[in-house]
Amino acid sequence: MGDSVVSGSGRRSGRGRDAAGGAGTSALTIWASRLFIAVVLIYLFAPVVVTVLFSFTTSPRLSLPIEGVTLDWYRKAFADPLFTTALNNSLVLAVVTAVVSVTLGVTFSFGMARLSARTRGPLLTASLLPAAVPALVLGVALAVFFTALNRPPGLVNAAIGHILVALPFVILTLNARLETFDFSVTEAARDLGASPLRTFRDITFPIMRPSVIGAALLAMALSIDEFVVTWFTIGNQQTLPVLIWGLLRRGIDPTVNALATVVLVSLVFLVVLSSLLSRRRS
Amino acid sequence: MVRLPAGSLRQLGPTATFYAVFFGVPLVILFVLSFWTQQGFERVPDLTLRNYLEGFTNRLYLQVFLRTILVSLVTALIVVPVAYLMAYLMRFTFERRGQLLLGLILISLFSGYQVRIYAWRTILGTEGILNTALMQLGLISEPITALIFSPLAVMITLVGLLLPLALLPIWSSMANVSRDHLEAARDLGSNGLRLHRTVLLPMVLPGVGTAFAIAFVLAAGDFVVPAMVGGTTGGTLVGNLIANQFRGSGADWPLGAALAFMIMALLVFVYLTSIRLLRWVTRW
Repeated sequence: MGDSVVSGSGRRSGRGRDAAGGAGTSALTIWASRLFIAVVLIYLFAPVVVTVLFSFTTSPRLSLPIEGVTLDWYRKAFADPLFTTALNNSLVLAVVTAVVSVTLGVTFSFGMARLSARTRGPLLTASLLPAAVPALVLGVALAVFFTALNRPPGLVNAAIGHILVALPFVILTLNARLETFDFSVTEAARDLGASPLRTFRDITFPIMRPSVIGAALLAMALSIDEFVVTWFTIGNQQTLPVLIWGLLRRGIDPTVNALATVVLVSLVFLVVLSSLLSRRRS
Repeated sequence: MVRLPAGSLRQLGPTATFYAVFFGVPLVILFVLSFWTQQGFERVPDLTLRNYLEGFTNRLYLQVFLRTILVSLVTALIVVPVAYLMAYLMRFTFERRGQLLLGLILISLFSGYQVRIYAWRTILGTEGILNTALMQLGLISEPITALIFSPLAVMITLVGLLLPLALLPIWSSMANVSRDHLEAARDLGSNGLRLHRTVLLPMVLPGVGTAFAIAFVLAAGDFVVPAMVGGTTGGTLVGNLIANQFRGSGADWPLGAALAFMIMALLVFVYLTSIRLLRWVTRW
Protein backbone atom coordinates (compact mmCIF):
# COMPACT_ATOMS: atom_id res chain seq x y z
CA MET A 1 0.00 0.00 0.00
CA GLY A 2 2.27 2.71 -1.31
CA ASP A 3 0.08 5.68 -0.61
CA SER A 4 -0.07 4.91 3.05
CA VAL A 5 3.42 6.14 3.78
CA VAL A 6 2.55 9.77 4.30
CA SER A 7 5.02 10.83 6.90
CA GLY A 8 3.85 9.06 9.96
CA SER A 9 0.14 9.28 9.37
CA GLY A 10 -0.27 5.83 10.79
CA ARG A 11 2.28 6.33 13.47
CA ARG A 12 0.10 7.09 16.41
CA SER A 13 -2.97 5.58 14.93
CA GLY A 14 -3.06 3.11 17.76
CA ARG A 15 -3.09 5.85 20.36
CA GLY A 16 -0.61 4.00 22.51
CA ARG A 17 -1.58 0.66 21.04
CA ASP A 18 1.56 0.74 18.93
CA ALA A 19 4.23 2.87 20.45
CA ALA A 20 6.68 1.73 17.78
CA GLY A 21 6.48 4.92 15.73
CA GLY A 22 9.92 6.30 14.99
CA ALA A 23 10.49 8.76 12.20
CA GLY A 24 8.03 8.07 9.38
CA THR A 25 5.60 5.21 9.36
CA SER A 26 7.26 2.07 10.56
CA ALA A 27 6.42 -1.26 9.01
CA LEU A 28 5.29 -2.45 12.41
CA THR A 29 2.71 0.34 12.64
CA ILE A 30 1.36 -0.49 9.21
CA TRP A 31 1.03 -4.14 10.16
CA ALA A 32 -0.58 -3.26 13.48
CA SER A 33 -3.05 -1.07 11.59
CA ARG A 34 -3.84 -3.86 9.16
CA LEU A 35 -4.34 -6.28 12.02
CA PHE A 36 -6.69 -3.81 13.68
CA ILE A 37 -8.77 -3.45 10.53
CA ALA A 38 -8.87 -7.22 10.10
CA VAL A 39 -10.06 -7.75 13.68
CA VAL A 40 -12.79 -5.13 13.25
CA LEU A 41 -13.97 -6.71 10.00
CA ILE A 42 -14.00 -10.19 11.53
CA TYR A 43 -15.99 -8.85 14.46
CA LEU A 44 -18.51 -7.25 12.08
CA PHE A 45 -18.85 -10.18 9.72
CA ALA A 46 -18.65 -13.17 12.07
CA PRO A 47 -22.42 -13.09 12.73
CA VAL A 48 -23.16 -12.86 9.01
CA VAL A 49 -20.88 -15.76 8.13
CA VAL A 50 -22.29 -17.90 10.94
CA THR A 51 -25.87 -17.34 9.82
CA VAL A 52 -25.26 -18.08 6.16
CA LEU A 53 -23.09 -21.11 7.00
CA PHE A 54 -25.61 -22.71 9.32
CA SER A 55 -28.46 -22.19 6.88
CA PHE A 56 -26.78 -24.85 4.71
CA THR A 57 -25.74 -27.43 7.33
CA THR A 58 -27.55 -30.68 8.07
CA SER A 59 -27.08 -30.66 11.82
CA PRO A 60 -30.00 -28.96 13.52
CA ARG A 61 -27.73 -28.26 16.45
CA LEU A 62 -25.62 -25.24 15.87
CA SER A 63 -22.12 -26.49 16.51
CA LEU A 64 -18.84 -27.16 14.80
CA PRO A 65 -17.57 -29.13 12.96
CA ILE A 66 -20.09 -29.09 10.14
CA GLU A 67 -21.43 -32.52 9.28
CA GLY A 68 -23.11 -32.08 5.92
CA VAL A 69 -24.56 -29.59 3.48
CA THR A 70 -28.26 -29.28 2.66
CA LEU A 71 -30.91 -27.01 1.20
CA ASP A 72 -33.60 -28.55 3.43
CA TRP A 73 -34.05 -25.48 5.64
CA TYR A 74 -34.81 -23.35 2.60
CA ARG A 75 -37.23 -25.98 1.26
CA LYS A 76 -38.90 -26.17 4.65
CA ALA A 77 -39.11 -22.39 4.90
CA PHE A 78 -40.57 -21.86 1.44
CA ALA A 79 -43.10 -24.65 1.99
CA ASP A 80 -44.36 -22.95 5.14
CA PRO A 81 -47.38 -20.71 4.44
CA LEU A 82 -46.39 -18.59 7.45
CA PHE A 83 -43.12 -17.79 5.72
CA THR A 84 -44.65 -16.98 2.33
CA THR A 85 -47.22 -14.71 3.98
CA ALA A 86 -44.48 -12.96 5.95
CA LEU A 87 -42.33 -12.59 2.85
CA ASN A 88 -45.28 -11.19 0.94
CA ASN A 89 -46.12 -8.70 3.69
CA SER A 90 -42.49 -7.63 3.97
CA LEU A 91 -42.31 -6.95 0.23
CA VAL A 92 -45.61 -5.03 0.18
CA LEU A 93 -44.48 -2.91 3.13
CA ALA A 94 -41.10 -2.29 1.49
CA VAL A 95 -42.67 -1.07 -1.76
CA VAL A 96 -45.28 1.10 -0.02
CA THR A 97 -42.61 2.56 2.28
CA ALA A 98 -40.33 3.34 -0.66
CA VAL A 99 -43.04 4.97 -2.79
CA VAL A 100 -44.54 7.11 -0.01
CA SER A 101 -41.33 8.12 1.74
CA VAL A 102 -39.62 9.03 -1.54
CA THR A 103 -42.63 11.03 -2.77
CA LEU A 104 -42.74 12.94 0.50
CA GLY A 105 -38.95 13.17 0.69
CA VAL A 106 -38.45 14.50 -2.85
CA THR A 107 -41.14 17.17 -2.44
CA PHE A 108 -39.78 18.18 0.94
CA SER A 109 -36.15 18.31 -0.16
CA PHE A 110 -36.96 20.49 -3.17
CA GLY A 111 -38.98 22.77 -0.92
CA MET A 112 -35.99 22.99 1.43
CA ALA A 113 -33.55 23.70 -1.39
CA ARG A 114 -35.35 26.97 -2.07
CA LEU A 115 -34.86 28.22 1.46
CA SER A 116 -31.93 30.20 2.79
CA ALA A 117 -29.22 28.21 4.53
CA ARG A 118 -30.26 29.70 7.85
CA THR A 119 -33.76 28.32 7.62
CA ARG A 120 -32.70 25.08 5.96
CA GLY A 121 -30.31 23.95 8.71
CA PRO A 122 -32.83 23.79 11.57
CA LEU A 123 -35.47 22.37 9.23
CA LEU A 124 -33.15 19.55 8.17
CA THR A 125 -32.35 18.81 11.81
CA ALA A 126 -36.05 18.74 12.64
CA SER A 127 -36.77 16.38 9.76
CA LEU A 128 -34.18 13.95 11.15
CA LEU A 129 -35.75 13.85 14.61
CA PRO A 130 -37.61 10.53 14.20
CA ALA A 131 -34.24 8.89 13.62
CA ALA A 132 -32.92 10.36 16.87
CA VAL A 133 -35.72 8.89 18.97
CA PRO A 134 -35.24 5.23 19.95
CA ALA A 135 -37.33 2.93 17.73
CA LEU A 136 -38.88 1.50 20.88
CA VAL A 137 -40.33 4.89 21.80
CA LEU A 138 -41.60 5.43 18.24
CA GLY A 139 -43.20 1.99 18.39
CA VAL A 140 -45.02 2.44 21.69
CA ALA A 141 -46.04 6.01 20.79
CA LEU A 142 -47.63 4.77 17.56
CA ALA A 143 -49.27 1.85 19.37
CA VAL A 144 -50.82 4.25 21.88
CA PHE A 145 -51.79 6.69 19.10
CA PHE A 146 -53.62 4.06 17.03
CA THR A 147 -55.36 2.72 20.13
CA ALA A 148 -56.52 6.24 20.96
CA LEU A 149 -57.98 6.42 17.45
CA ASN A 150 -59.60 3.01 17.93
CA ARG A 151 -57.66 1.70 14.95
CA PRO A 152 -56.94 -2.04 15.20
CA PRO A 153 -53.27 -2.95 14.63
CA GLY A 154 -52.31 -4.23 11.19
CA LEU A 155 -50.34 -3.72 8.02
CA VAL A 156 -51.45 -0.12 7.43
CA ASN A 157 -50.29 0.93 10.89
CA ALA A 158 -47.00 -0.83 10.33
CA ALA A 159 -46.60 0.91 6.96
CA ILE A 160 -47.02 4.30 8.63
CA GLY A 161 -44.35 3.30 11.15
CA HIS A 162 -42.00 2.19 8.37
CA ILE A 163 -42.46 5.46 6.47
CA LEU A 164 -41.66 7.38 9.65
CA VAL A 165 -38.50 5.32 10.12
CA ALA A 166 -37.36 5.66 6.49
CA LEU A 167 -38.24 9.31 5.82
CA PRO A 168 -35.32 10.92 7.72
CA PHE A 169 -32.82 8.80 5.78
CA VAL A 170 -34.52 9.52 2.46
CA ILE A 171 -34.44 13.26 3.18
CA LEU A 172 -30.81 13.08 4.27
CA THR A 173 -29.80 11.27 1.06
CA LEU A 174 -31.73 13.60 -1.25
CA ASN A 175 -30.64 16.72 0.58
CA ALA A 176 -27.00 15.73 0.20
CA ARG A 177 -27.51 15.44 -3.57
CA LEU A 178 -29.47 18.68 -3.86
CA GLU A 179 -26.71 20.64 -2.14
CA THR A 180 -24.60 20.16 -5.24
CA PHE A 181 -27.53 20.52 -7.63
CA ASP A 182 -27.04 23.27 -10.21
CA PHE A 183 -30.32 25.17 -10.18
CA SER A 184 -29.19 27.41 -13.07
CA VAL A 185 -30.05 24.48 -15.37
CA THR A 186 -33.70 24.54 -14.34
CA GLU A 187 -33.74 28.34 -14.48
CA ALA A 188 -32.45 28.13 -18.06
CA ALA A 189 -35.23 25.71 -18.95
CA ARG A 190 -37.79 28.05 -17.41
CA ASP A 191 -36.31 31.02 -19.28
CA LEU A 192 -36.62 29.08 -22.52
CA GLY A 193 -40.33 28.70 -21.85
CA ALA A 194 -40.69 25.27 -20.26
CA SER A 195 -43.52 24.94 -17.76
CA PRO A 196 -42.58 24.03 -14.16
CA LEU A 197 -43.98 20.54 -14.73
CA ARG A 198 -42.05 20.05 -17.95
CA THR A 199 -38.88 21.41 -16.32
CA PHE A 200 -39.26 18.87 -13.57
CA ARG A 201 -40.03 16.00 -15.95
CA ASP A 202 -37.35 16.73 -18.57
CA ILE A 203 -34.56 18.35 -16.58
CA THR A 204 -34.74 18.01 -12.82
CA PHE A 205 -35.95 14.44 -12.50
CA PRO A 206 -33.53 12.88 -15.01
CA ILE A 207 -30.64 14.54 -13.17
CA MET A 208 -31.96 13.43 -9.79
CA ARG A 209 -33.05 9.96 -10.87
CA PRO A 210 -30.06 7.97 -9.57
CA SER A 211 -30.32 9.60 -6.14
CA VAL A 212 -34.08 9.15 -6.02
CA ILE A 213 -33.83 5.45 -6.89
CA GLY A 214 -30.96 5.12 -4.43
CA ALA A 215 -33.11 6.67 -1.70
CA ALA A 216 -36.01 4.37 -2.61
CA LEU A 217 -33.83 1.27 -2.32
CA LEU A 218 -32.50 2.50 1.02
CA ALA A 219 -36.08 2.97 2.23
CA MET A 220 -36.90 -0.60 1.12
CA ALA A 221 -33.89 -1.96 2.98
CA LEU A 222 -34.83 -0.07 6.15
CA SER A 223 -38.38 -1.38 5.86
CA ILE A 224 -37.40 -5.01 5.32
CA ASP A 225 -35.07 -4.88 8.33
CA GLU A 226 -37.49 -3.00 10.59
CA PHE A 227 -38.60 -4.99 13.61
CA VAL A 228 -39.23 -2.84 16.68
CA VAL A 229 -41.80 -0.38 15.34
CA THR A 230 -43.42 -3.20 13.35
CA TRP A 231 -43.81 -5.37 16.42
CA PHE A 232 -45.79 -2.67 18.23
CA THR A 233 -48.04 -1.78 15.32
CA ILE A 234 -48.72 -4.92 13.28
CA GLY A 235 -50.76 -6.97 15.74
CA ASN A 236 -51.11 -10.60 14.69
CA GLN A 237 -49.81 -10.13 11.14
CA GLN A 238 -46.37 -11.27 10.10
CA THR A 239 -43.32 -9.78 8.43
CA LEU A 240 -40.02 -11.64 8.10
CA PRO A 241 -38.43 -10.03 11.18
CA VAL A 242 -41.61 -10.59 13.22
CA LEU A 243 -41.67 -14.24 12.14
CA ILE A 244 -37.98 -14.65 12.99
CA TRP A 245 -38.60 -13.13 16.43
CA GLY A 246 -41.44 -15.59 17.05
CA LEU A 247 -39.33 -18.57 16.00
CA LEU A 248 -36.45 -17.45 18.19
CA ARG A 249 -38.69 -17.24 21.22
CA ARG A 250 -39.80 -20.80 20.66
CA GLY A 251 -36.29 -22.23 20.71
CA ILE A 252 -33.66 -23.36 18.27
CA ASP A 253 -34.98 -23.89 14.77
CA PRO A 254 -32.49 -23.96 11.89
CA THR A 255 -35.06 -22.59 9.43
CA VAL A 256 -34.39 -19.28 11.18
CA ASN A 257 -30.97 -19.25 9.55
CA ALA A 258 -32.56 -19.76 6.15
CA LEU A 259 -35.08 -16.95 6.77
CA ALA A 260 -32.34 -14.71 8.08
CA THR A 261 -30.21 -15.42 5.02
CA VAL A 262 -33.12 -14.48 2.74
CA VAL A 263 -33.45 -11.16 4.61
CA LEU A 264 -29.71 -10.64 4.55
CA VAL A 265 -29.30 -11.28 0.82
CA SER A 266 -32.15 -8.95 -0.10
CA LEU A 267 -30.80 -6.21 2.18
CA VAL A 268 -27.26 -6.44 0.84
CA PHE A 269 -28.57 -6.41 -2.73
CA LEU A 270 -30.68 -3.28 -2.08
CA VAL A 271 -27.96 -1.42 -0.23
CA VAL A 272 -25.18 -2.14 -2.72
CA LEU A 273 -27.42 -1.03 -5.56
CA SER A 274 -28.52 2.02 -3.59
CA SER A 275 -25.01 3.21 -2.82
CA LEU A 276 -23.88 2.64 -6.40
CA LEU A 277 -26.77 4.79 -7.66
CA SER A 278 -26.43 7.48 -5.01
CA ARG A 279 -22.76 7.87 -5.73
CA ARG A 280 -23.19 8.21 -9.48
CA ARG A 281 -23.14 11.86 -10.46
CA SER A 282 -24.91 12.69 -13.67
CA MET B 1 -40.52 35.40 11.80
CA VAL B 2 -38.99 33.30 9.12
CA ARG B 3 -40.43 34.12 5.73
CA LEU B 4 -40.75 31.20 3.37
CA PRO B 5 -40.61 31.75 -0.38
CA ALA B 6 -43.93 31.37 -2.14
CA GLY B 7 -44.67 27.81 -3.13
CA SER B 8 -42.20 26.19 -0.73
CA LEU B 9 -44.95 25.76 1.84
CA ARG B 10 -46.79 23.57 -0.61
CA GLN B 11 -43.70 21.40 -0.96
CA LEU B 12 -42.90 21.30 2.76
CA GLY B 13 -46.51 20.83 3.79
CA PRO B 14 -47.14 17.13 3.15
CA THR B 15 -44.05 15.92 5.04
CA ALA B 16 -44.60 18.44 7.83
CA THR B 17 -48.18 17.19 8.18
CA PHE B 18 -47.05 13.57 8.19
CA TYR B 19 -44.52 14.30 10.94
CA ALA B 20 -47.04 16.30 12.96
CA VAL B 21 -49.74 13.62 12.80
CA PHE B 22 -47.69 10.44 13.10
CA PHE B 23 -44.71 11.67 15.13
CA GLY B 24 -45.70 14.78 17.07
CA VAL B 25 -49.21 13.78 18.11
CA PRO B 26 -48.26 10.20 19.19
CA LEU B 27 -45.44 11.55 21.38
CA VAL B 28 -47.80 14.10 22.95
CA ILE B 29 -50.38 11.37 23.62
CA LEU B 30 -47.68 9.16 25.12
CA PHE B 31 -46.61 12.05 27.34
CA VAL B 32 -50.17 12.69 28.51
CA LEU B 33 -50.61 8.97 29.12
CA SER B 34 -47.58 8.96 31.41
CA PHE B 35 -49.63 10.92 33.97
CA TRP B 36 -52.57 8.49 33.90
CA THR B 37 -53.05 5.48 36.12
CA GLN B 38 -53.61 1.84 35.28
CA GLN B 39 -56.34 0.09 37.27
CA GLY B 40 -56.59 -3.54 36.27
CA PHE B 41 -57.28 -3.54 32.56
CA GLU B 42 -58.50 0.04 32.61
CA ARG B 43 -56.44 3.14 31.91
CA VAL B 44 -57.84 5.99 33.94
CA PRO B 45 -57.22 9.65 33.05
CA ASP B 46 -55.33 11.29 35.87
CA LEU B 47 -52.68 13.87 36.58
CA THR B 48 -50.28 12.01 38.80
CA LEU B 49 -46.51 11.76 39.02
CA ARG B 50 -46.84 8.29 40.53
CA ASN B 51 -45.45 6.55 37.43
CA TYR B 52 -42.34 8.69 37.42
CA LEU B 53 -41.88 8.24 41.16
CA GLU B 54 -42.28 4.50 40.67
CA GLY B 55 -39.43 4.64 38.16
CA PHE B 56 -37.25 6.50 40.64
CA THR B 57 -38.07 4.60 43.81
CA ASN B 58 -38.69 0.99 42.81
CA ARG B 59 -35.41 -0.76 43.52
CA LEU B 60 -35.71 -3.12 40.57
CA TYR B 61 -36.28 -0.26 38.14
CA LEU B 62 -33.50 1.79 39.65
CA GLN B 63 -31.15 -1.14 39.30
CA VAL B 64 -32.14 -1.66 35.67
CA PHE B 65 -31.76 2.07 34.96
CA LEU B 66 -28.26 2.08 36.41
CA ARG B 67 -27.35 -1.04 34.47
CA THR B 68 -28.68 0.53 31.27
CA ILE B 69 -26.56 3.64 31.80
CA LEU B 70 -23.48 1.56 32.57
CA VAL B 71 -23.92 -0.86 29.66
CA SER B 72 -24.64 1.95 27.17
CA LEU B 73 -21.77 4.05 28.44
CA VAL B 74 -19.24 1.22 28.22
CA THR B 75 -20.59 0.25 24.79
CA ALA B 76 -20.29 3.84 23.50
CA LEU B 77 -16.83 4.24 25.05
CA ILE B 78 -15.65 1.12 23.19
CA VAL B 79 -17.46 1.88 19.95
CA VAL B 80 -16.39 5.51 19.50
CA PRO B 81 -12.58 5.14 19.82
CA VAL B 82 -12.62 2.02 17.63
CA ALA B 83 -14.76 3.81 15.04
CA TYR B 84 -12.48 6.86 15.22
CA LEU B 85 -9.36 4.79 14.69
CA MET B 86 -10.99 2.77 11.93
CA ALA B 87 -12.19 5.92 10.15
CA TYR B 88 -8.76 7.48 10.54
CA LEU B 89 -7.02 4.47 9.02
CA MET B 90 -9.57 4.30 6.19
CA ARG B 91 -9.23 8.00 5.44
CA PHE B 92 -5.51 8.68 5.85
CA THR B 93 -3.47 5.49 6.14
CA PHE B 94 -5.10 3.13 3.68
CA GLU B 95 -6.73 5.80 1.58
CA ARG B 96 -6.80 3.79 -1.61
CA ARG B 97 -8.86 1.04 0.04
CA GLY B 98 -11.03 3.54 1.89
CA GLN B 99 -14.06 3.24 -0.39
CA LEU B 100 -13.89 -0.56 -0.39
CA LEU B 101 -13.72 -0.64 3.39
CA LEU B 102 -16.60 1.82 3.60
CA GLY B 103 -18.63 -0.46 1.34
CA LEU B 104 -17.94 -3.42 3.64
CA ILE B 105 -18.95 -1.37 6.67
CA LEU B 106 -22.22 -0.43 4.94
CA ILE B 107 -22.91 -4.06 4.04
CA SER B 108 -22.37 -5.13 7.63
CA LEU B 109 -24.69 -2.34 8.77
CA PHE B 110 -27.42 -3.72 6.55
CA SER B 111 -26.82 -7.39 7.15
CA GLY B 112 -29.95 -7.65 9.24
CA TYR B 113 -30.47 -6.26 12.72
CA GLN B 114 -32.05 -9.39 14.20
CA VAL B 115 -29.87 -11.69 12.16
CA ARG B 116 -26.75 -10.31 13.78
CA ILE B 117 -28.20 -10.42 17.30
CA TYR B 118 -29.32 -14.00 16.86
CA ALA B 119 -25.97 -15.00 15.37
CA TRP B 120 -24.17 -13.64 18.42
CA ARG B 121 -26.27 -15.98 20.52
CA THR B 122 -25.07 -18.84 18.34
CA ILE B 123 -21.48 -17.68 18.74
CA LEU B 124 -21.51 -16.91 22.47
CA GLY B 125 -23.80 -19.70 23.75
CA THR B 126 -22.69 -22.32 26.26
CA GLU B 127 -22.63 -24.83 23.41
CA GLY B 128 -21.85 -22.06 20.93
CA ILE B 129 -19.05 -21.71 18.46
CA LEU B 130 -16.66 -19.78 20.68
CA ASN B 131 -16.93 -22.12 23.66
CA THR B 132 -16.77 -25.22 21.45
CA ALA B 133 -13.70 -23.92 19.65
CA LEU B 134 -11.94 -22.94 22.87
CA MET B 135 -12.67 -26.37 24.38
CA GLN B 136 -11.49 -28.21 21.30
CA LEU B 137 -8.30 -26.20 21.41
CA GLY B 138 -7.94 -27.23 25.02
CA LEU B 139 -7.77 -23.64 26.22
CA ILE B 140 -10.67 -24.14 28.59
CA SER B 141 -12.09 -27.28 30.15
CA GLU B 142 -15.59 -25.99 30.80
CA PRO B 143 -17.68 -23.57 28.76
CA ILE B 144 -17.49 -19.94 29.84
CA THR B 145 -21.08 -19.36 30.92
CA ALA B 146 -20.66 -15.62 31.46
CA LEU B 147 -20.39 -15.18 27.69
CA ILE B 148 -24.13 -15.50 27.20
CA PHE B 149 -27.21 -14.20 29.04
CA SER B 150 -25.18 -11.54 30.79
CA PRO B 151 -24.47 -7.82 30.50
CA LEU B 152 -21.20 -8.86 28.83
CA ALA B 153 -23.10 -10.63 26.03
CA VAL B 154 -25.29 -7.55 25.62
CA MET B 155 -22.25 -5.32 25.25
CA ILE B 156 -20.43 -7.65 22.84
CA THR B 157 -23.53 -7.73 20.62
CA LEU B 158 -24.22 -4.00 20.86
CA VAL B 159 -20.64 -3.12 19.94
CA GLY B 160 -20.97 -5.15 16.74
CA LEU B 161 -24.35 -3.62 15.92
CA LEU B 162 -23.42 -0.01 16.58
CA LEU B 163 -19.86 0.19 15.29
CA PRO B 164 -20.83 0.70 11.62
CA LEU B 165 -23.37 3.35 12.58
CA ALA B 166 -20.89 5.25 14.74
CA LEU B 167 -18.26 5.06 12.04
CA LEU B 168 -20.30 6.87 9.40
CA PRO B 169 -20.50 10.34 11.02
CA ILE B 170 -16.81 10.23 12.00
CA TRP B 171 -15.88 9.13 8.50
CA SER B 172 -17.88 11.89 6.84
CA SER B 173 -16.40 14.59 9.05
CA MET B 174 -12.89 13.25 8.34
CA ALA B 175 -13.63 13.36 4.62
CA ASN B 176 -13.62 17.16 4.95
CA VAL B 177 -10.20 17.25 6.58
CA SER B 178 -7.42 17.62 4.08
CA ARG B 179 -4.26 15.64 4.32
CA ASP B 180 -2.25 18.86 3.87
CA HIS B 181 -3.72 20.26 7.03
CA LEU B 182 -2.51 17.30 9.07
CA GLU B 183 0.88 17.43 7.45
CA ALA B 184 1.23 21.13 8.16
CA ALA B 185 0.50 20.40 11.80
CA ARG B 186 3.04 17.62 11.72
CA ASP B 187 5.68 19.87 10.17
CA LEU B 188 5.08 22.34 12.96
CA GLY B 189 6.02 19.63 15.43
CA SER B 190 2.66 18.28 16.48
CA ASN B 191 2.51 14.54 16.37
CA GLY B 192 1.21 11.44 18.02
CA LEU B 193 -1.53 11.77 20.52
CA ARG B 194 -1.13 15.53 20.48
CA LEU B 195 -1.88 15.73 16.79
CA HIS B 196 -5.15 13.94 17.40
CA ARG B 197 -6.09 15.95 20.44
CA THR B 198 -5.21 19.43 19.25
CA VAL B 199 -5.67 19.17 15.48
CA LEU B 200 -7.75 16.31 14.11
CA LEU B 201 -10.18 15.71 16.98
CA PRO B 202 -11.35 19.34 17.21
CA MET B 203 -11.97 19.31 13.46
CA VAL B 204 -14.07 16.15 13.55
CA LEU B 205 -15.68 16.88 16.90
CA PRO B 206 -19.26 17.15 15.57
CA GLY B 207 -18.84 13.74 13.94
CA VAL B 208 -17.42 12.18 17.10
CA GLY B 209 -20.18 13.75 19.19
CA THR B 210 -22.83 12.40 16.83
CA ALA B 211 -21.20 8.97 16.89
CA PHE B 212 -21.21 8.92 20.68
CA ALA B 213 -24.83 10.06 20.82
CA ILE B 214 -25.90 7.44 18.26
CA ALA B 215 -24.07 4.65 20.08
CA PHE B 216 -25.39 5.63 23.50
CA VAL B 217 -28.97 6.33 22.42
CA LEU B 218 -29.35 3.14 20.42
CA ALA B 219 -27.72 1.03 23.14
CA ALA B 220 -29.88 2.52 25.89
CA GLY B 221 -33.07 2.29 23.85
CA ASP B 222 -32.65 -1.27 22.61
CA PHE B 223 -34.75 -4.11 23.90
CA VAL B 224 -34.13 -6.83 21.32
CA VAL B 225 -30.47 -7.36 22.24
CA PRO B 226 -31.06 -7.74 25.99
CA ALA B 227 -34.11 -9.92 25.28
CA MET B 228 -32.12 -12.27 23.05
CA VAL B 229 -28.68 -12.42 24.67
CA GLY B 230 -29.17 -10.68 28.03
CA GLY B 231 -31.06 -13.44 29.79
CA THR B 232 -34.06 -13.01 32.02
CA THR B 233 -32.53 -11.16 34.94
CA GLY B 234 -28.86 -10.22 34.73
CA GLY B 235 -28.92 -8.46 31.38
CA THR B 236 -32.31 -6.74 31.39
CA LEU B 237 -32.26 -3.12 30.24
CA VAL B 238 -34.84 -0.33 30.49
CA GLY B 239 -35.97 -1.19 26.95
CA ASN B 240 -37.27 -4.55 28.19
CA LEU B 241 -39.13 -2.91 31.07
CA ILE B 242 -40.80 -0.49 28.65
CA ALA B 243 -41.61 -3.15 26.05
CA ASN B 244 -43.10 -5.40 28.73
CA GLN B 245 -45.45 -2.64 29.85
CA PHE B 246 -46.92 -2.56 26.36
CA ARG B 247 -46.94 -6.10 25.08
CA GLY B 248 -46.68 -8.32 28.11
CA SER B 249 -49.22 -9.75 30.49
CA GLY B 250 -49.86 -7.30 33.32
CA ALA B 251 -49.23 -4.46 30.92
CA ASP B 252 -49.20 -0.96 32.39
CA TRP B 253 -49.14 1.60 29.59
CA PRO B 254 -48.95 4.73 31.79
CA LEU B 255 -45.95 3.32 33.62
CA GLY B 256 -44.35 2.29 30.32
CA ALA B 257 -44.94 5.80 28.95
CA ALA B 258 -43.32 7.37 32.02
CA LEU B 259 -40.32 5.04 31.72
CA ALA B 260 -40.01 5.95 28.03
CA PHE B 261 -39.85 9.66 28.84
CA MET B 262 -37.39 9.03 31.67
CA ILE B 263 -35.04 7.24 29.29
CA MET B 264 -35.45 10.02 26.70
CA ALA B 265 -34.63 12.66 29.31
CA LEU B 266 -31.54 10.65 30.18
CA LEU B 267 -30.53 10.48 26.52
CA VAL B 268 -30.84 14.24 26.05
CA PHE B 269 -28.81 14.78 29.21
CA VAL B 270 -26.07 12.39 28.08
CA TYR B 271 -25.97 13.96 24.65
CA LEU B 272 -25.52 17.49 25.98
CA THR B 273 -22.97 16.35 28.55
CA SER B 274 -20.92 14.41 26.03
CA ILE B 275 -20.72 17.38 23.67
CA ARG B 276 -19.55 19.59 26.52
CA LEU B 277 -17.10 16.98 27.74
CA LEU B 278 -15.59 16.54 24.28
CA ARG B 279 -15.17 20.31 23.92
CA TRP B 280 -13.39 20.35 27.25
CA VAL B 281 -11.11 17.45 26.33
CA THR B 282 -10.01 19.05 23.09
CA ARG B 283 -9.29 22.35 24.79
CA TRP B 284 -7.15 20.81 27.49
